[in-house]
Amino acid sequence: MHFPMNNEKILNDLEEIVGKDFASNREEELFIYSLDPGASLPRVVDFVVMPKSVEEVQKIVKLANKEGIPIVPMGGGLTLSGLVLPVHGGIVLDMKRMDNIIEINEMSKYALIEAGVTTGHLLSYLNENYPNLQPPVPDAPSAATVAGNVLIHGSGYLSQKYGDHGSMINGLEVVLPNGDICKVGSCALSDYWFTRGPIPDLIGLFTSSFGTLGIVTKLSVKLFHKPKFRDVVFGLATDFEDIPNILSKVTESGLAEDVLLGMQDKPDWMKGYIFVIVYVTGESEDEIDTNAKVLKKIYRKTNARYMKTPPRIREIYMEKPIFAATAADFRKGGGFEYVGAFLPIENLPKAFKGGAEISKRHGIIPTIGSRLIGQSHSAMAFFSYSFNRADPDDMKNAREALHETNLLALELGGIPWKAELAGQKLILDKMDPNYKKLFKTIRDTLDPNHIMNPGNWEVE
Amino acid sequence: MTVQTEKDWKDIIHRCFRCGYCKFTHDYSDFNCPSYKKFRFETYSTGGRLWLAFGVINGDIEWSEGVANVLYACPTCGNCMENCRFDKFNFMLVDFIEAARAEANRQGFCPENQKFLLERTTNENYFNPYAEENSDNEELKKQYNLPDEAEWVYFIGCTSNYRQKDLRDATLRFLKKAGINFTLIDEHCCTSPLLRTGQLSPVTEFMNYNLQKIKEVGASKVITSCAGCYRTLKNDFAKHDAEHDLEIIHTSELIIQLLKEKKLKFTSEFNKTVTYHDPCHLGRHSGLYEEPREVYKQIPGLELVEMKRNRENAWCCGAGGGVKIGYPDWSIEISKERLEEAKETGATIVSSTCPFCRTNLSDANKAFNMGFEVLDLVEIIDQLDYEINE
Ligand SMILES: Cc1cc2nc3c(=O)[nH]c(=O)nc-3n(C[C@H](O)[C@H](O)[C@H](O)COP(=O)(O)OP(=O)(O)OC[C@H]3O[C@@H](n4cnc5c(N)ncnc54)[C@H](O)[C@@H]3O)c2cc1C
Ligand code: SF4
Ligand code: SF4
Repeated sequence: MHFPMNNEKILNDLEEIVGKDFASNREEELFIYSLDPGASLPRVVDFVVMPKSVEEVQKIVKLANKEGIPIVPMGGGLTLSGLVLPVHGGIVLDMKRMDNIIEINEMSKYALIEAGVTTGHLLSYLNENYPNLQPPVPDAPSAATVAGNVLIHGSGYLSQKYGDHGSMINGLEVVLPNGDICKVGSCALSDYWFTRGPIPDLIGLFTSSFGTLGIVTKLSVKLFHKPKFRDVVFGLATDFEDIPNILSKVTESGLAEDVLLGMQDKPDWMKGYIFVIVYVTGESEDEIDTNAKVLKKIYRKTNARYMKTPPRIREIYMEKPIFAATAADFRKGGGFEYVGAFLPIENLPKAFKGGAEISKRHGIIPTIGSRLIGQSHSAMAFFSYSFNRADPDDMKNAREALHETNLLALELGGIPWKAELAGQKLILDKMDPNYKKLFKTIRDTLDPNHIMNPGNWEVE
Repeated sequence: MTVQTEKDWKDIIHRCFRCGYCKFTHDYSDFNCPSYKKFRFETYSTGGRLWLAFGVINGDIEWSEGVANVLYACPTCGNCMENCRFDKFNFMLVDFIEAARAEANRQGFCPENQKFLLERTTNENYFNPYAEENSDNEELKKQYNLPDEAEWVYFIGCTSNYRQKDLRDATLRFLKKAGINFTLIDEHCCTSPLLRTGQLSPVTEFMNYNLQKIKEVGASKVITSCAGCYRTLKNDFAKHDAEHDLEIIHTSELIIQLLKEKKLKFTSEFNKTVTYHDPCHLGRHSGLYEEPREVYKQIPGLELVEMKRNRENAWCCGAGGGVKIGYPDWSIEISKERLEEAKETGATIVSSTCPFCRTNLSDANKAFNMGFEVLDLVEIIDQLDYEINE
């Protein structure tokens, strides 16, 4: 389905709202916004628009409703799973001109920001002005937005300790599909954007719904105390089956800020090992040493062993955020995409084994990892497939591997995260019918013209 | 590695992930790609430009004025090379952009304003992009009593010779006073403006002409006060079949060497606060960051203060890459941002080591009434008393 429209008239209307420089239907913009860095095929875009204020967003939404044009909100466009590529054409709303950091509340520890603020900008702003505070940011490239990340239940170096980033949202300002501005969280009734409750919690409507229920224009995210010292303590495991126990014992110690697992067949020295990567923090070097010693003991008791970290590896892992995008050049091809899947930790062994088999079947070197979320309440497992962007068959191969991995994750009781269209369909196929019905009812009520990112989370 | 030949760049360009590290300074404190910061569409980020180029190579999008315009809306400042995290190809990013422009040019999509650069430079009365009658520099040679043969050539460069004569004259006076055995040649444009705008047809010929002239005077060293000529002579000649074994020296390098060897001693003071603007051609493209700074620091009375974005993270002046001629208003807007940053330092003088930066910063200073004095390093030295000891 592609919506018929009078493009020139609509462009004029959009230009009237945001200014001539910030609305485009030029071929070059439409081409660039029809692609994302993942393995998806390109999709048609009709307009790219960059609003500066909530009022402009409101006017765009009202116009889209009047004309029946789909809108897809976009931050950094870096999920890799095609989430900002319109399924039925329409407007891509690039939010990154809304880039003000409005308030940092040091005492209640939150940042109130506009939706286009990048993770890099917030991190750097805090480093410079509030060096004792740290934000929840992912290991995605720093051009990703904080909004785009928290709204998809992102995760990062603080997630093992404090939960996924979706749970760190204190409040949102949202332009609803009818153009109303709605505040959710404590900001609905207080000047302080400091908490989600205790009122009916509607923030969840806007997380992982991929822009289908509204466009977030402002948000408050939790900030956290930044310990003075941080270090990484590597452990090596050789048996997949040991993983859940190792993770449990590590988290039970209460010492770990972040816990990652990594498994990679290249370079050769990494083959055969599962790397357990635990970050410890403290207010003094002594505290770090003591914590590291405890961890070493845990490794010993759980059939893993401590690995002294070579300086080059340490440097890579101490960077915040980690340069995860390096995977894009593994095949000298400029691309990779991964299935991230939230999994119960007891199923990580099967996930790692199954993921490695899928990789091998597709001729891709296995690159699998995991990040604990919320004290081992779940694990975000990632199965990464590098591809060569210049080779359509290689991209197709990656898409097939991704699909098989989604199936594996679902089979293991997990849920694919930030799922691409095909993955969303698999999730919906397995979902409780009444959950789907509830979601559809809410969506139809809020967005009767079905203009918000149609094609995503489409309940039949 | 050069990306001159079609195969080289066409085989690598798809490796850009469009991840956007290149938009920022190293610490992400600001967007530092002038093009992305201005236009804000992803299209105008480095990744956008490279993906467009890959798109046309692949036949997914056709060449058009619009595509070419995106490729040309970039001062080739090199911030992307510095901040792209992929070190297997980040050093080639500007080469990719220039190669894509050359392709645009071949396809007939060079923007009109940039075409003037080629027209003027190849005009036999000019041989420079300013459409000024070519100076064979014989007058200057006479005025400064320069020999026909010498160990050094001072390569003046078109901007200094036709637009920033004070800087040229200050350089001549310094070299003379320093006792350098140098002369001038009847130089033609170094071709930097043509290389940056993808108009490559005459460049090898121009380069070899200049090399021939340098050879004729028997020189083994070429000194210049122009960051653009410096980079071109040092890095680009060889990429375009104009190999040479000349030593290429920027004036700031000579000055710091003389200071280190105690051959140069300043005997008066310059009691002003100065902030240094790194020219992209000298800094990111040639790696000279500390040499000029060392000179400023050794000038008695001069207080050197740094702008927030400096060295590898310097904000471009906006003149390069054909932007000054192609997008004159945007070009000085970029310089305005630099001057605003300079204001925060408390400096009264903005100084650089490139006549083209000097031009653009001065233009913005005037247009936006910023109240600075804009001076090249060599012009500051020209105001000082100094002794030269053999
Ligand atoms: C190398 C690499 C590493 C990564 N590592 C991590 C990681 O460690 N942790 C992690 O969580 N993620 C990671 N990611 C995934 C992803 O890049 C990040 O989650 C990123 O923060 C997403 O933000 P974005 O601004 O790019 O979102 P986008 O892709 O722009 O948007 C994401 C979704 O949110 C919607 N959306 C965006 N803005 C709004 C808005 N204002 N209102 C309503 N809806 C909106 C979009 O429509 C889309 O559905 C990684 C990605 C890469 C490429
Ligand atoms: S140039 Fe480098 S940093 Fe920029 S988008 Fe491409 S790969 Fe990423
Ligand atoms: S050279 Fe400068 S302006 Fe051009 S793309 Fe790179 S960072 Fe942007």
